[in-house]
Amino acid sequence: MRVLGEDARLLEAAGCDVEALAALEAAVAADGPDPGGATWRDAHVHLGRDRDGHVLDADGLVADLDANGIADAVCFPPNDPGPDGQFAAANAAVLAAARRRPGRIVPFCRVDPSRPGAGVAMDRAQAGGAAGLKLHPVAQGFRPESPECVAVVRDAAARGWPVLLHAGFGARALAGPMAALADAAPDARLILAHGGRGDAAALEQAVRGRDGVVFDTSLATLPDLVAIGPERLVFGSDRPYGEHATARQLVGLAARAGGWDADALAAVMGANLTRLLGR
Amino acid sequence: MSRAAAIRTLVLCAQAEMALVRRDPVAGPLLAQAARAAAGTGAAPLVSAAADLVRRPPGTPGAPAAARRKVTQALVRAARIRAEAVLSEPPGGS
Repeated sequence: MRVLGEDARLLEAAGCDVEALAALEAAVAADGPDPGGATWRDAHVHLGRDRDGHVLDADGLVADLDANGIADAVCFPPNDPGPDGQFAAANAAVLAAARRRPGRIVPFCRVDPSRPGAGVAMDRAQAGGAAGLKLHPVAQGFRPESPECVAVVRDAAARGWPVLLHAGFGARALAGPMAALADAAPDARLILAHGGRGDAAALEQAVRGRDGVVFDTSLATLPDLVAIGPERLVFGSDRPYGEHATARQLVGLAARAGGWDADALAAVMGANLTRLLGR
Repeated sequence: MSRAAAIRTLVLCAQAEMALVRRDPVAGPLLAQAARAAAGTGAAPLVSAAADLVRRPPGTPGAPAAARRKVTQALVRAARIRAEAVLSEPPGGS
């Protein structure tokens, strides 16, 4: 049994009242949308062990997906670049997990555009079945508008891959850099993570009207999701940093605040991602 | 939840969230304060549960402690989201 994304046995060992926590989780999830027959998909999951100690394995993820009525998840490595700095082992692990769990994991690879070997890493990942690319400018210390990042995003577009970019916590303004990246790679499909909360208002304005740019809802703020609107959102959890009950809650309460109808909610919870992924 | 209570709850929960992430012991007092601010509102059970988890003895270190910390963060996040929802209603809403 898992509660709020954690193993109930661990919570019991930590002295928690698991039943009480499960009841609170159910109350939180009740703030969320009603499935209504729609297919739910999670656009943002880290699979593996991060340098900061956060960890999620495929079994835990699938248990979470099943408990929350979610069909599948876009998964990529956490910040575990390895000796080559190009996430070789971490990418291989995500791809292997996707093969072991057919239909539940949509594997994205992760690279560092600022280091040598990104293209080779992407070749290797594509051969292993990767369907997209994750980039984290803050963790890997590169600028989205840099020539190296533009080259990698163009490469991804040429492979038919969408690119998910961290757009949350970080010191730099994002609107100009992300707009510049979108301009330099006009064929790219970009998912800006966390509702763009690192520079929300300016970023939403800067990419408005660009068909290939959407935001994921993971650990976003509610008013930002209302401002962005359901046409440009894909549901995400940021597991294991976030969990599904509050991720669902956030979208459900944003929908009420924004007056989204059932079709709009279904789009956010899965149909927009299906269209973006082409699968 | 009144808008005033929502503002207090939102501010204190946001501060507590970051304190929990950074494992700052100020999380405890912040959550105690947030529980008082949220009293009688829809966020109250969530904040109270989080404050209680932080107040308890540490328990088994390692993975159990990390799991407890993560669910505490989740409860605080849920309370914050409910406060955000109240503040996203037009003024004059409930």
